[in-house]
Amino acid sequence: MSRFFTTGSDSESESSLSGEELVTKPVGGNYGKQPLLLSEDEEDTKRVVRSAKDKRFEELTNLIRTIRNAMKIRDVTKCLEEFELLGKAYGKAKSIVDKEGVPRFYIRILADLEDYLNELWEDKEGKKKMNKNNAKALSTLRQKIRKYNRDFESHITNYKQNPEQSADEDAEKNEEDSEGSSDEDEDDDGVTAAAFLKKKSEVPSGESRKFLKKEDEDEDSEDSEDSEAWDTSSTSSDSDSEEEEGKQTVLASRFLKKAPTTEEDKKAAEKKREDKAKKKHDRKSRRPDEEEEDNEGGEWERVRGGVPLVKEKPKMFAKGTEITHAVVIKKLNEILQARGKKGTDRAAQIELLQLLVQIASENNLGEGVIVKIKFNIIASLYDYNPNLATYMKPEMWQKCLDCINELMDILFANPNIFVGENILEESENLHNADQPLRVRGCILTLVERMDEEFTKIMQNTDPHSQEYVEHLKDEAQVCAIIERVQRYLEEKGTTEEICRVYLRRILHTYYKFDYKAHQRQLTPPEGSSKSEQDQAENEGEDSAVLMERLCKYIYAKDRTDRIRTCAILCHIYHHALHSRWYQARDLMLMSHLQDNIQHADPPVQILYNRTMVQLGICAFRQGLTKDAHNALLDIQSSGRAKELLGQGLLLRSLQERNQEQEKVERRRQVPFHLHINLELLECVYLVSAMLLEIPYMAAHESDARRRMISKQFHHQLRVGERQPLLGPPESMREHVVAASKAMKMGDWKTCHSFIINEKMNGKVWDLFPEADKVRTMLVRKIQEESLRTYLFTYSSVYDSISMETLSDMFELDLPTVHSIISKMIINEELMASLDQPTQTVVMHRTEPTAQQNLALQLAEKLGSLVENNERVFDHKQGTYGGYFRGECSHPLFALRILAPFLPLHWLSPPPLPISLLQTRKTATGKMRATCAEVATASSSLRRPTDGLISVPSALDHSPFRSNHTALKVCH
Amino acid sequence: MASRKEGTGSSAASSSSTTGAAGKGKGKGGSGDSAVKQVQIDGLVVLKIIKHYQEEGQGTEVVQGVLLGLVVEDRLEITNCFPFPQHTEDDADFDEVQYQMEMMRSLRHVNIDHLHVGWYQSTYYGSFVTRALLDSQFSYQHAIEESVVLIYDPIKTAQGSLSLKAYRLTPKLMEVCKEKDFSPEALKKGNITFEHMFEEVPIVIKNSHLINVLMWELEKKSAVADKHELLSLASSNHLGKTLQLLMDRVDEMSQDIVKYNTYMRNTSKQQQQKHQYQQRRQQENMQRQSRGEPPLPEEDLSKLFKPHQPPARMDSLLIAGSQINTYCQNIKEFTAQNLGKLFMAQALQEYNN
Repeated sequence: MSRFFTTGSDSESESSLSGEELVTKPVGGNYGKQPLLLSEDEEDTKRVVRSAKDKRFEELTNLIRTIRNAMKIRDVTKCLEEFELLGKAYGKAKSIVDKEGVPRFYIRILADLEDYLNELWEDKEGKKKMNKNNAKALSTLRQKIRKYNRDFESHITNYKQNPEQSADEDAEKNEEDSEGSSDEDEDDDGVTAAAFLKKKSEVPSGESRKFLKKEDEDEDSEDSEDSEAWDTSSTSSDSDSEEEEGKQTVLASRFLKKAPTTEEDKKAAEKKREDKAKKKHDRKSRRPDEEEEDNEGGEWERVRGGVPLVKEKPKMFAKGTEITHAVVIKKLNEILQARGKKGTDRAAQIELLQLLVQIASENNLGEGVIVKIKFNIIASLYDYNPNLATYMKPEMWQKCLDCINELMDILFANPNIFVGENILEESENLHNADQPLRVRGCILTLVERMDEEFTKIMQNTDPHSQEYVEHLKDEAQVCAIIERVQRYLEEKGTTEEICRVYLRRILHTYYKFDYKAHQRQLTPPEGSSKSEQDQAENEGEDSAVLMERLCKYIYAKDRTDRIRTCAILCHIYHHALHSRWYQARDLMLMSHLQDNIQHADPPVQILYNRTMVQLGICAFRQGLTKDAHNALLDIQSSGRAKELLGQGLLLRSLQERNQEQEKVERRRQVPFHLHINLELLECVYLVSAMLLEIPYMAAHESDARRRMISKQFHHQLRVGERQPLLGPPESMREHVVAASKAMKMGDWKTCHSFIINEKMNGKVWDLFPEADKVRTMLVRKIQEESLRTYLFTYSSVYDSISMETLSDMFELDLPTVHSIISKMIINEELMASLDQPTQTVVMHRTEPTAQQNLALQLAEKLGSLVENNERVFDHKQGTYGGYFRGECSHPLFALRILAPFLPLHWLSPPPLPISLLQTRKTATGKMRATCAEVATASSSLRRPTDGLISVPSALDHSPFRSNHTALKVCH
Repeated sequence: MASRKEGTGSSAASSSSTTGAAGKGKGKGGSGDSAVKQVQIDGLVVLKIIKHYQEEGQGTEVVQGVLLGLVVEDRLEITNCFPFPQHTEDDADFDEVQYQMEMMRSLRHVNIDHLHVGWYQSTYYGSFVTRALLDSQFSYQHAIEESVVLIYDPIKTAQGSLSLKAYRLTPKLMEVCKEKDFSPEALKKGNITFEHMFEEVPIVIKNSHLINVLMWELEKKSAVADKHELLSLASSNHLGKTLQLLMDRVDEMSQDIVKYNTYMRNTSKQQQQKHQYQQRRQQENMQRQSRGEPPLPEEDLSKLFKPHQPPARMDSLLIAGSQINTYCQNIKEFTAQNLGKLFMAQALQEYNN
């Protein structure tokens, strides 16, 4: 890991890394090698931390020792108890055992115990002498251990075959393991350390055995330390010596094996110790040198609190190293290798890279290298946040922007540098100035990523804070960078890349209202005095032209569907935003996006929704209420406009989705500065619904099968009706509802005042770029639709009405009134004709009145009732008795319902012949006729409402005309 | 509402032990199918009912009250009444029975007839034939044989003619209601049709001579008020409303018939299945017999084929018969009157010209 330690690996452990490190050194693991290395004063260091493995193993060894003791005194009961505990402890240590393999000492005790028990079992006399408890325990334990050992069969046989070796290995292995785990900081030099340790461990194992008892006190603390370690770790040496059976051979062999060498060993150890001390000294002397060598002048600092930040700093080049391309690249790779690794400090890495750039530039290594490093700096900046959801810190962001800008500067300044993703690492040419420089890396990807980061920053900033504004100011920079990249790629990039960068550009352009162009449109160019050049210049600024150019390129060249879809949507959005309704609509219709947008990914769908909404609003501004309504219907009717436009999450569905989904959805949100005002949206929708629905309602007042144009609008109306106390409207919705009510009565002035007033201006209308134009359009629409509503509602009370009056009432000019009425007549909405000389509308009065309508409906219902009734009759025809028998199923029943109308027949000459002999069929027909009569009767009754004067005419006309109606009904 | 009525009915039962005897005597003397041939109402009662509605009822809300009086021969004389207090949400524990008893006791103290002889109710466009009315009137009539229900139509009254009607349940319907069985069969057996559910009892409004005298005197003193309401020709609203209501009922009726239809179909289908099953079983048994085996045990057919629940017919009967009938009668009356008025107006017009 660190160069420092790599060099120091052979000298391994010296006093310099004492201190804290010792604290972390586990107790169980130091099989005597520690005392060798430790100086006197460090001997009684506290041992605090132990690894799980050590703990478990210690537990096991303790239990094993008790078992051995119990075996010695032939206390089988105790053995049984302990064995059970041992089993449990082993279970606990299972996870470690899985990792490390079954520990030898465990196998040993199992094997020994089994042998021991078998021995006892064979010993009949001994058994006899045994007390009852023991005998019982013996049989139990024997059975148990047999069963238990079955799992370890292979291990035990292995052990039995060569007990001594396995014992040895065991010890060694333990030592190694514990050593390995104890000094984690040194795991880089694991090989050497292990080798060294092996050597060391041989020494004390011999020593401890032989000199334990004999050696005097001045033979260092290491031995006592050592023995202690042995005591606790495995089958203890003193117990060994006392032991008589079984184990003897094992230990003996081991003892013997070591014995001849011990003398030498000891010497060797001492020598080694000296060596070490020497090395230590060397090291110490060497360190100052090293410090001097640090070319960055970074002071060597002690490891403080395990922060590797500073430690890495000096890791630049050694002084005097000739800084060449190769060296720098090597360094770069070295740094990069740490990238993405767990313990890497990302901030430090960025710093290092920046340092490297500095070095590179100081040493004039050429732009290729610098570009290469810059790429990596930016990449590590992006990497800085491990989490996808978190966003860059402002300083990081700034750094990133600067870096990209610098990179762009270089790229622009050196046209001979080729940058590309497809350039392989091997084929990179970073310094050969003769050939064009080739650097691997994709500037476009970096910029795209930067753009995403920008979106993320915006998403995560409170949109109502000053901070947001501050961040938003960066947008210009982002745009500038994208523009530069665009310019760069236009020269060097492939079409695909150009498409991608164009899309980026479009995404940053489409939602912005081009005020300059707008202004220019308003003030017509001062004659044609402007030269061609000026115009060209202006065109460059005009976002519409820009959009046109970019999008057309994408339409022509793009091969991925997604970019094209996005471009089309943005283009439509841009058209709609600038009130180019027909272009926008045509583009939308030509693209056929409606058909397959549901297959697109969510962000594109959100863009689609935004576009539709913008399209609807555009249509509204043009006065095309119907189109506006249709465009907005889908978004608005769902009641989830907020969610569909990606402008916020609904609380309602919070329970439905889990955390993960929510995060994903949060990432999809559109930044605040792109939001479409939801209130504006709703208001536009409701007002267009009002302009459509109110006349429609008036026209189909009495139609039972009337359908609703806009459910949401009706909902709002109902909410308004339910209000117990109706105050002056407050919210936008209340305004619209109040206006609708006024319009229903044909009162356009009130309607107008509800729709356009201070409050509504502030809330909605002023948000449009051409507010006044919209307002004028709206007033005009209200007037027209109110006129229509008025005619629908009140045509029945007029015989004729002068168009001039209407024109006065609704403040519309005569031709308009004329055209509206003509249209209504042509569409058969209004039964009337125009009398040209007098400029009046003459009503025909062929529409059924309310009563007539009701009567007609009643007749229809009675018809179905009779049919149903007949079915009942058919069904039972004498088989099954019921209530209706003979009474209701009879056709006369239906007539009886209509009985009240029968007296009216005297108006029409032939009275209805009703006889019981009539077949049901004719009776039904008759009944229909009767219903028609009802219509007749009620039509004649209608007139009186108008007052006495009109009665005669009513009586004159009604029978004949209504007969006509009745005939129609009958047919 | 029905429960309230029942409560009243039972309470009335205890208080009318004395009338019971008189009523019985009456019943024997009468034609047998009805205890009361005529209702004689005191002017005071009419005024009190009208006043009650005007003070408390509005729109579709109905007001109700108790009628007091006594039976003289085959004539029910209603001499006084008092309203039920309006039911509000907050005094849910208000004891109406207690209130009625209290009221009657107090009235007895001031020497007013305190015998319970029925109840009155206002109506909205003649839509009074409901299950609730049937239930309460049944319990009244069950407890006090001669009790009637007075239906007051404020809307018609406002148009110029007092509309007050007395109804009783027919003995046939009483029997059916007593059985509490509204299945098609029961209704068929009871021979109940919508025409034979309610009987209208003729009403006579009677004032004491003293009051008549007073009226005469008042008439002389005050200028005669013009009765324009009677001649008003603007009545399409009323007709429309009634038609609307009629239409609703017809809709309900239609639905009911459809329901009945399904029931019928289901029943007959089941009948067929049952028949088939029986036949199959019979055949098998025959075969077994020929083979000398014992026949299969009889199974409970009703378990195998659970009979469908026949729909209760009482509601449809009420709707079809009585309510639609009432509406029709209303319309009939109304249109007849209006046509008269129209011809009158025409004649007037011609005369003026």
